[in-house]
Amino acid sequence: MNRIEEKMAHLKEKNEKAFITYMVAGLPDMEGTKALIKAQEEAGTDVIELGVPFSDPVADGPVIQQASYKSICQGTTLSKIFDMMGEVRKEGVEIPIIFMMYSNTIFRYGVEAFVKKCKETGVDGLIIPDLPYEEQEELQKALDKEEGAILIQLVSPVSKKRIPMILEHARGFVYCVSSMGVTGQAAAFHKEIIEYLKSVKEVAKIPVMMGFGIRTPQDIAPMKDIIDGAIVGSHFIKLLEKNNYDVSAAAEYCKSFKAGL
Amino acid sequence: MNRKSYYGEFGGQFVSESLMNTLEELDEAFEAAICDEKFLADYHYYLKQYVGRETPLYFAERLSKKYGTKIYLKREDLNHTGAHKINNVIGQILLAKRMGKTKVIAETGAGQHGVATATGAALFDMECTVYMGEEDMKRQALNVMRMEMLGAKVECVRSGSNTLKDATNEAIRTWAKTAEDTFYIIGSAVGPYPYPKIVKEFQSVISREAKRQFYEAEKKMPDVVMACVGGGSNSIGMFADFIEEKDVELIGVEAAGKGIKTGEHAAAMAEGIPGTLHGMRSYLLQDGDGNIKLAHSISAGLDYPGVGPEHAYLRDTGRAEYVSITDGEAMDALMELCKLEGIIPAIESAHAIAYAFKKAKDMTENQAMIVCLSGRGDKDVNTIADYLAGKAYLN
Repeated sequence: MNRIEEKMAHLKEKNEKAFITYMVAGLPDMEGTKALIKAQEEAGTDVIELGVPFSDPVADGPVIQQASYKSICQGTTLSKIFDMMGEVRKEGVEIPIIFMMYSNTIFRYGVEAFVKKCKETGVDGLIIPDLPYEEQEELQKALDKEEGAILIQLVSPVSKKRIPMILEHARGFVYCVSSMGVTGQAAAFHKEIIEYLKSVKEVAKIPVMMGFGIRTPQDIAPMKDIIDGAIVGSHFIKLLEKNNYDVSAAAEYCKSFKAGL
Repeated sequence: MNRKSYYGEFGGQFVSESLMNTLEELDEAFEAAICDEKFLADYHYYLKQYVGRETPLYFAERLSKKYGTKIYLKREDLNHTGAHKINNVIGQILLAKRMGKTKVIAETGAGQHGVATATGAALFDMECTVYMGEEDMKRQALNVMRMEMLGAKVECVRSGSNTLKDATNEAIRTWAKTAEDTFYIIGSAVGPYPYPKIVKEFQSVISREAKRQFYEAEKKMPDVVMACVGGGSNSIGMFADFIEEKDVELIGVEAAGKGIKTGEHAAAMAEGIPGTLHGMRSYLLQDGDGNIKLAHSISAGLDYPGVGPEHAYLRDTGRAEYVSITDGEAMDALMELCKLEGIIPAIESAHAIAYAFKKAKDMTENQAMIVCLSGRGDKDVNTIADYLAGKAYLN
């Protein structure tokens, strides 16, 4: 069974909500990324989204843009991230890890080679913001064949009639984008957020997570009964930067967020 | 996969889920508009009365004599605002109004598309924001001022290379946030479907006129049709009606910057590596990790690391040939056009002129070519002065 699906089943059993973080791979450096993964697993984070930096991240706001740019300048590449993944898995890390990346990085690597490498190094899922449902066929076929990583589907407040189509074969969890536009717009959720989340929840056979603009458990209090978990990205990156990538500060934040859910 | 959105293996819709419904609405509105006689009548009215079409197909007598073949120039530089960009803006802004949008946004490199959009927004009373890279704002300060005079807000983009690619990223981000009331006017034949089709439709007036004008003058088809290619809007417009004329040779001229071998150029097709950027799959300048490389050209309008998907398709099917011209070659051609014909072309257009001189060597005096003179050079006077003074250009 895929680690993400296993985790979701486990959380359901315990009636717990999921806490998911996003961080850019290669920051402060690859060893630092490893240490942050391990500290978060220990602190009770349920799933980690690991950003594979891309030169033109059109779905991201300024915080993630700058972090990605910094990581690329430090020499981070997909191959180095795969190496790091292989190592942490060998060192016994079992937390589900999802690559959040842009489609061109995969096409340049080669779709089949990429999917094989994901399985080999223990990457459990993929979130690709510039690969909407209509463009997923080639990648989805390769993923189905390999039976390793799964593709996480994104829906937005304006997806509406597209939702059943997107969710029909979706696996793991559904990523509900909380607002129009890009990552990191501090708790400025879409005006019809509750309606929208309810409409997704109605159709979804898998857990529903909300992301974009979340900083604290209080931010999601109004929709807590609808969703199955929260994803924190830009705010987590700011927190890492503010604390100079200190692992205990990161662990502290994760622990308290998870407890507040 | 939605086959309709593809040109062979190029094109598609590589955008975030938030924009998929927006693109579908746009596609439906566009297809309905171009079948609506009232819409087309409005479009042609503004092209004639406001833009000043049709533009002449000028027989360049002295150039033809010097290079030993007939050279015709399609004078898009004579359009209102100084380039072909306004053709597309009038079409898209009428479409935006039809869709009930009240705001428009645009990206710009050289500033010509930004000026055209600001102009259209003033004419049709729309709120307008133009995204422009910091580097381009320095290179094209005059156009920044023109946009501001026309009432547009010019948003300075400081990320990545601070040029057209980054301005486009920022426009896409803003669009994803505001698509409910905002129309994104893309200026080049790039972006997610249906944009490449929309831009081609509204620029195809160039070849529709040129084909008829050439026939009136020569009673035949031209042997060669040529245009410069950045994203590829003037060239797709110049090619459009000639694509079906199989005996007409189509040539697109990319910017070779300091030379293809130096790596400092903007010739996406010369490297020939496909990938996804700005919502489309096409040829891109990229490194081994799939990160987009910076394009280099003395011409801000060609300084783009990708190319429109239909051009990628025309290249692969062999229907069009794509070549490249260096900064130096383009500047020599620019000066020659000034001196021999009394026309100061945009540096972008000078790339096509430069290749026309090379191509003329393989042609006879009874043969003829049409070169798209996509814009005028007034905006480039500072760059030209710096170049002539031997100063390195910005970028």
